[in-house]
Amino acid sequence: MIKALKYIILLILAAAIAFFGWQLYRYLQHPEEIEVLPSKPGDVKEMARLCSMEIYNEVSVLDTVNSKVIFAVQKQSGSISFDMENLQVDDSGDTVKIVLPREIVDIYESNEKNAWEVIDTKAIGPMAFLRNNKFTTAEENRVKSKIKAKAISRLYSNGTVKQARKDAVENLTRLMEGIYRKPVLVSDPTPNGSPK
Amino acid sequence: MTKFKAFSFLLIGIFLFACSKKPAPDHTHLYEEIRHVNKMEFASMAVTKTVKTERSDWYKVGKRIAVYSFDTYLKAYIDLYQFEMENMEFDEENKTVKVTLPPVKVEIAGRDMEMKKEYENVGMFRTEIDSKERAKMKEKASAELKKELGGNPEYKQRLEDTARRKARSYFENLFKNAGYTAFIRFSDEITGGGDYNLKNYD
Repeated sequence: MIKALKYIILLILAAAIAFFGWQLYRYLQHPEEIEVLPSKPGDVKEMARLCSMEIYNEVSVLDTVNSKVIFAVQKQSGSISFDMENLQVDDSGDTVKIVLPREIVDIYESNEKNAWEVIDTKAIGPMAFLRNNKFTTAEENRVKSKIKAKAISRLYSNGTVKQARKDAVENLTRLMEGIYRKPVLVSDPTPNGSPK
Repeated sequence: MTKFKAFSFLLIGIFLFACSKKPAPDHTHLYEEIRHVNKMEFASMAVTKTVKTERSDWYKVGKRIAVYSFDTYLKAYIDLYQFEMENMEFDEENKTVKVTLPPVKVEIAGRDMEMKKEYENVGMFRTEIDSKERAKMKEKASAELKKELGGNPEYKQRLEDTARRKARSYFENLFKNAGYTAFIRFSDEITGGGDYNLKNYD
């Protein structure tokens, strides 16, 4: 009887070892559950843009969507540039007259390490502890749209766009004077920029 | 009676908490850097990265698969701070100008903030994908892209070629408007010993 019990225990132990061994094998076969697929490049777009300012930000984000709160830190990169292909140039007189076009403000999530770091999410409101605190992709995207809008609006309110336009006037004047070999006057109809 | 009072206070507390104002969106700047630059961008390209997570074990009930994608943007530009008057040789007699532009450089401008949900299948008994997991997926995809760009010069070459072509036509036009025929070349096309690669003048 004791001998049979010993066999049963040994059998259970062997089965347990085999099970964990199988799990380990499976884990080693598929060590990563995240798989990155090969990149798909889009078409190359031609342009002619004068970029006078580059921006690097790190912001903390605290936002609420559908009674869920997210706290995260984001690194942003961006630029302020001007379309040089549709430049209004009048070179009929002794002075070349150019009108600085509307600025193009681009804000992205930076490509640096940990550019989007989620610290915590929680549900708030009545019976919060019973509700799901996880953000769906759509909810997270709503938060990110707000961050982008806020970052762009800040560039206008803190004078960065104004400075970028001023720099662009100087850079453009220098470049065009070298090309036209006569005085160049770059005028700026909207020195503070034109927020959309 | 005391128990009733305590219960009433608890109820009032719950209602007050329920009616409390939700925290307003707050984005505090931790760090900000503004760089004055003078770049001319001539080409850009979006590269789509797709990332998948799948955790399936036989002892778990239901699938847990999610696929997301996002774009990363590359730009090709020339740095006009490196462009001086000495880089232009005017010939007033023939109304021509030889221009040497700085080399075309390629950089990653950034990536989309939002992630596009391509597919999601999370069973009832499986945990949903959360923001931290999505952030980890994005991080891994970005790191892979950087490796791909480093090991595969094809994207860079395509961008550089387009930017060179565009820069040439842009400056040729500009000089044409100023009354000159321009011959454009790039400083990195100049061969050793100070000679010029004259085929670019053709």
